[in-house]
Amino acid sequence: MSVLDSTTTILASGVRLTVPLAFAACGEYLAERAGAMNISVEAMMLGAAFTSVATASATGSATVGLVAGVLTGLVLGFVHGNLSHRAQINTFVVGLVLNSLVLGLTSYLITTDQFASHQVGVLSIPLLQDIPLIGKPLFSERWPAYLLILLVPLTWWLVERSRWGLELRAVGENPQAADVTGIKVNARRRQALLWCGALAGLGGAYLAVGEVGSFNQNMTAGRGYIVIAAVIFGAWRLGRTLLGCLVFGLSDAMRLALPALGVTLNAQLLVAAPYLLALLAMLLFTTQHREPAALGRPFQRGST
Amino acid sequence: MTPTTSAVPILELRGITKSYGTVTACDAVDLRVDAGEIHGLLGENGAGKSSLMKVLLGLVRRDTGTVLVRGESVALDSPQEAAELGIGMVHQHFSLINGLTVWENVALGDTGKVNKQAICSDIAEVCARYGLPIDPEAQVGSLSAGERQRVEVVKCLRRDPQILILDEPTSVLTQAESQELFGVLGRVVQEEGRAVILISHKLAEIAQATDRVTVLRKGRVAFRAATAETTPQLLAQQMVGRDVSLGEEGAALGLLPVQKARTGQAGDRDRQQPVLRLAGLTVEQGGVRVLEDVDLTVGAGEIVALYGVEGNGQATLGEILAGLLPPTAGTVEVAGSTVDVTRPGALAKAGLGIVPEDRHHSGVVLDMSVAENLTMKSLDKVSGRFLLRRGVMRAEARRLADEFNIVTSSLDAPVRSLSGGNQQRVVLARELSGDTRVLVAAQPTHGLDVGAIEDMYSRLRKAAAEGVGVLLISTEFEEVMALATWIAVISSGRITGVLPVSEATSERLGMLVGGEAA
Repeated sequence: MSVLDSTTTILASGVRLTVPLAFAACGEYLAERAGAMNISVEAMMLGAAFTSVATASATGSATVGLVAGVLTGLVLGFVHGNLSHRAQINTFVVGLVLNSLVLGLTSYLITTDQFASHQVGVLSIPLLQDIPLIGKPLFSERWPAYLLILLVPLTWWLVERSRWGLELRAVGENPQAADVTGIKVNARRRQALLWCGALAGLGGAYLAVGEVGSFNQNMTAGRGYIVIAAVIFGAWRLGRTLLGCLVFGLSDAMRLALPALGVTLNAQLLVAAPYLLALLAMLLFTTQHREPAALGRPFQRGST
Repeated sequence: MTPTTSAVPILELRGITKSYGTVTACDAVDLRVDAGEIHGLLGENGAGKSSLMKVLLGLVRRDTGTVLVRGESVALDSPQEAAELGIGMVHQHFSLINGLTVWENVALGDTGKVNKQAICSDIAEVCARYGLPIDPEAQVGSLSAGERQRVEVVKCLRRDPQILILDEPTSVLTQAESQELFGVLGRVVQEEGRAVILISHKLAEIAQATDRVTVLRKGRVAFRAATAETTPQLLAQQMVGRDVSLGEEGAALGLLPVQKARTGQAGDRDRQQPVLRLAGLTVEQGGVRVLEDVDLTVGAGEIVALYGVEGNGQATLGEILAGLLPPTAGTVEVAGSTVDVTRPGALAKAGLGIVPEDRHHSGVVLDMSVAENLTMKSLDKVSGRFLLRRGVMRAEARRLADEFNIVTSSLDAPVRSLSGGNQQRVVLARELSGDTRVLVAAQPTHGLDVGAIEDMYSRLRKAAAEGVGVLLISTEFEEVMALATWIAVISSGRITGVLPVSEATSERLGMLVGGEAA
C-alpha cells in the first residue's frame, strides 16, 4: 500500500469517525451557549444508536431508523430538560443517571432479539470524489453525512443571528438579567436541550445505521464525553468545536490504522489514546473566559 | 396628597401588599405619580422600595392591591405586560449581559426578527437626542460603570416608556455622570411629559432632583410631600422613624453638610509606622487592567480610606486582600514582611483581618453556628490535634460575643438567623481576635441600619485607637469624611491621589474620582 493510499484510508476513516461527533457537537454547543451543561449527550447518542438499529430492523429501512434515532434524542432531551430546568434537579446528577440508565437498558435490550443489519446508502459525488487524497474521504460518504453541510451553518445562524439564539446566549451569560428582560430562562434551556437531543440522536443513529450497520453494547464508548471535550476545546465557538471533533476523529482513525501499518502497540493503550488526547487538548487549549458565565448553573426566580 | 393639576395620574398604586413568607415587604402601599414629574421614592435598605418596583415591573406578583395605569386597572403578571403598558426600568444590577455587545443587549426583550441595522440606528437616534454617546458594537463587559449606565438608560428610553423607574441610579456614578443623568431625566419629564420614579436612599439626591417624594419605612408609606416643602432633616427623620442628629447618623444617611470631626488632629500630616504596604499591585483580567500599579500604605493606628465610585477596582483589591485573587504583579507587605498572597491563609497568619464586601459570600458561613463562625480563624486555639474542643470554642465565642455585643438567641444558632448588623459584628469580632495588625473593611456598612452603622463606626475607631491599621474601602463620601485620617482616591484601577482628611473637600475628591489630579 502506498503512502498516499494509506493516508487516504486514514483520512477517510477519520472523517467517518468525525461525522457522528460533529452532529452531536452542534447540539451540545448550542445547549452550552444557553448555559445548559448537558452531559447526557452520551445517553442521547447511545440510546439513538440502539433505537435506530432496532427500528431499521423492524421496518427494513435504515432511513426510518435514522428518524427513530432523532426522536430518541428528542425524548431524552425533553426528559433531561424537564428534570434539570423545570424540576431543578442537579443537571450533572440527571446526566449521570440518564447515561447509566441508557447504557444498562440498551445492553439488556440488545440481548433480547436478533436485529437484522441495515445501513444507509453511500452517496458519492461525481468528479469531486476523484480528487486525490481528500476526494474519497470527503465526497464518498453515507448520505446523512452531507446533512452537516446544512446543519452546521444552521446551528451557527440560530445562535448568532436569530432572536432565539440571542436570547439563548443571554440566558447562558446572565440568567437573572435575561429574566428581567422578560426571557423565559428555563424554557429557553429546555428548548436548547431539544435541539441538542435531536442532533445528538442523529449522531448516534448515524454511527449505528450509518457507519457500522449494527448495534453492540456501549457502542458509543464515551463519544458523548468526547463531544463535551470538543466544545471546551473549541472555547464555545462552533468552528473550533468542529475542529476539535476532527482531531478526535482522526486520532481514533490512527488508532485503528496503526496495527495495519505494522506498528505494534498495546491495544488497550491505543483505545485510551483519543481520550488521553482529549484531556491533553483541553489542558492546552482551554480559554476559560470564553465560557458562558452561567454554564451549569441552575436558574430559579427570586434567588440571585 | 399634594395638589396636582392633572385629573388622572399616569400611575396609581392602591393598597399594594407583598409578603415573602413571614416577611411583609410592602404593606398596603399607596403611590401616585403624575406625568411630567420626577417622583422620589425614599427609604432605608429593606424598606420595601425594590419590592414595590418589582411588582410594578411584573417581576413578582402582588398579594393584594390595585395598580392603575392612566386610570385603568391592570394585572401586571409579566415583564412583557409591564413593557407594553409603557413601564420601563433602568436597572442597577443584573440587567446588562457582559458577553454580548451593546446593540445585542438593547435588542433583548424585543420580539420578531433581529434587525441589527434598525437597532443600531435606533440607538444612534436616542443617543443623539439625549447627548449620550455610545458605541453600539462595543462589548458591554469592557465598558466602565458610567458607560454601562448610559447603555441602560438608552435601552430603556428606546422602548419609549411613559413611566421610567430608576433604582439607585447614581451609586456607581461619578458626580459628573450623575449630573449628566439628572440632565437627561429633566428633559424626559419636562419636554416629553413622561413620569420618572427615582428610588434612592440619598437625601441630597432626592432633594436636588425630585418634584415630589414618598418615604417608605418598614414596608409602609411613612410620609409624602412636595419636595420643595420639605427639608433633608425632615425626610431623614421620616425615613429612620426618629430624630436624626446632624452628626454621625446624618453622615451615614448622606445628610449634608458633613461634620468635620477631626480637623487639626494630632499627627494629621505625619504618617505612622506602616503596618500594611501595597506596592505596584496590578491585576489583569481578560486583557483589561482592573488594577494598575497601586501603591498604598496604612500606618499603625491610622484609618486610611480608599474612596471611589463602585466598579473602579476596589472589589478586586478587596479580593486580593482576602486572599481570593492573586495579583498579576506587585507585593503585599504586612507588618514589615512580604506575604505570599497565593497561599491560602497567609494574609490571616501575617495579621491581616478582613471584613469582606459581600459578607454572605466570603464573610460568614450562613448555616454554621455563631460559635463556629467566630472561631473559624483560630482553630489552633480551639482544637487539639484531631478533635475540636467544644468547651474552649464556646468560651472563646462567648468572650467575643460579649465584647462585640452580638445579639443572638444562642451561640449555637446559625449565623443566618442573625440580623445584618449582628452578622457583620460576627465578622468583625473574628477578624479582630488574635494578633491583628491590619483590618481591611470593605464597604462595611452596606445594607446595615443606622444603629448598626454607628456601632461599626465606633468599633473601627476603637480598633485604630488600639494601634490597628485600618483600610476602609468605601464609596460613601460622608463615611470616608467621618472616619478617615487619610483618603486615597481610586479611579479606573489607579490611585489618583492621597490626601489627609483635613485637606479633603467634596470638590477635590470629586476631581480625583473623575480621574483628574486635584
